[in-house]
Amino acid sequence: MNNFTRTITLLLAFVALPATAEVRVFACEPEWAALAGEIGGDLVSADSATTGLQDVHHIDARPSLIARLRQADLLVCTGAGLEAGWLPVLLRRANNARVQPGKPGYMEATTYVGMLGRPERVDRSAGDIHAQGNPHIQLDARNFLAVADELADRLAQIDPANAAQYRAGLADFRQRWQAALDGWSRDTASLQGMPIVVHHDAWVYLVDWLQLQQLATLEPLPGVPPSSSHLSRLLQQLEGSDAAAIIHSSYQSPRAANWLAERTSLPVVELPATIGGTPAATDLFSLFDDITARLGTVAP
Amino acid sequence: MNVDGLDASILGPAMAAGLLVLVTHVPLGREVLRRGIIFIDLAIAQIAGVGVLAAHSLHLAHDGLAVQAIAYASAIAGALLLFACERRWPEVQEAIIGCTFIMAASAGVLLLAGNPQGGEHLRELLVGQILWVDYHSLLPVAVLYAGVLVCWRLLQGERNRLLFYMLFAVTVTASVQLVGVYLVFASLIIPALAVRRCTAGAVFRGLLVGVCGYAVGLLMSALLDLPSGAVIVLALGMLAIVFSSLWHCDGAVRTGRSR
Repeated sequence: MNNFTRTITLLLAFVALPATAEVRVFACEPEWAALAGEIGGDLVSADSATTGLQDVHHIDARPSLIARLRQADLLVCTGAGLEAGWLPVLLRRANNARVQPGKPGYMEATTYVGMLGRPERVDRSAGDIHAQGNPHIQLDARNFLAVADELADRLAQIDPANAAQYRAGLADFRQRWQAALDGWSRDTASLQGMPIVVHHDAWVYLVDWLQLQQLATLEPLPGVPPSSSHLSRLLQQLEGSDAAAIIHSSYQSPRAANWLAERTSLPVVELPATIGGTPAATDLFSLFDDITARLGTVAP
Repeated sequence: MNVDGLDASILGPAMAAGLLVLVTHVPLGREVLRRGIIFIDLAIAQIAGVGVLAAHSLHLAHDGLAVQAIAYASAIAGALLLFACERRWPEVQEAIIGCTFIMAASAGVLLLAGNPQGGEHLRELLVGQILWVDYHSLLPVAVLYAGVLVCWRLLQGERNRLLFYMLFAVTVTASVQLVGVYLVFASLIIPALAVRRCTAGAVFRGLLVGVCGYAVGLLMSALLDLPSGAVIVLALGMLAIVFSSLWHCDGAVRTGRSR
């Protein structure tokens, strides 16, 4: 082989290999893209359709979203209606048979964890509730173990040649995650039973995991400004209470939380709802490091 | 730069939706500009949205077809109301339209407070996204617009204002669901504004501005990986400035309620 052909061959290999070798994962939220990376390592390329600083209920359509879903081998979303406003129409436009519901390439994380906030009855008066339960499962760090098990299975199914590596990646992740879980539960022992006020009802999994106590919700119906009678009831309720903090998500405006803070002199704690929600939350581990550290600042 | 989005099957349906919208909105927009009632599209779309929300709280909006029927009926009712206002108080018609818009929007907030689930319907109705359009969903709109254009042609001579209001209501209710309120407003007003001084081939020139705006906007949104609707609006605005300064049209600007 002469020099020229060798260079061309090398170049071709360089260009062609990553496109064919990787399992392309289309994640709806950053936490699932990160989880795929933790398990698959270099064998997967994972992108998220949304960022940690955006309301995942609604997204603006960009051409690249359709193009990426069209090439995807595996779609990982939260499910339970969280992406109902845009995922069905995006799936239709991408027209990719590998990632349609029911295929191995279509995975909803909420299917594999115990759901909280499942309404006893669903009617039109209860607001923007999700019939399948509260979808914000990523805020209980324990949930990632069950989702990781399923995700590793799916990766092995889609890319059987590397199944052993996905199993090894899963085992490694489980071990590191379990150690981290132990650390977080040690660090947050003092938070147990801490009474908090939340902006939206998006924190039930965090409250359940860290055994906090949710006293009240500032905006009971997402997307609808609270009425003045709700706010005055809230102020009365907080008057004699021992609430420690007001929690709001970094993707939402702090105005409502600040309004309440001014009247109750409670501290406001801004938490990342997922990776990218705060500068410190750069991966799954630092996400929960940051959440627990921020909550620690108001620990009793 | 991002070349993944440069795919005819991704941008094609969006461009087709843009062409459909332009074919009706450029001629209607010239009439809207001439009458000085530029916010009428926002008012009509908002009234259609409130109609759907009201139907939702009364448990009338069961399926897509019922929602559509209610949206069109509300829009036509709103158009009749605005037509009656124009006959009665022509000198303050634009102010009345603005007030109608803001009152309809506020009524929507109150209806949502009792029934937040209706919010999804309102959003679907008012903030259609051009990239989500597929060819399949364009067919009924194409048929509807063909009917609108035929009626529009027929009424040209007789200055039938009532018919104009009705046609406008139907057109906007369809286009807002397809491409969203920003693009509807831009498609109506920007080309009409660019050619307002042109006497020869004004509709053709307006269409040229519109087609170039949609094409450039879609390509830029694919290359820069940005939300398509917003990029198209900006492209339309900038191309309108470029084209209107190139053309040097200096016909008399026709305004007021006569032709």
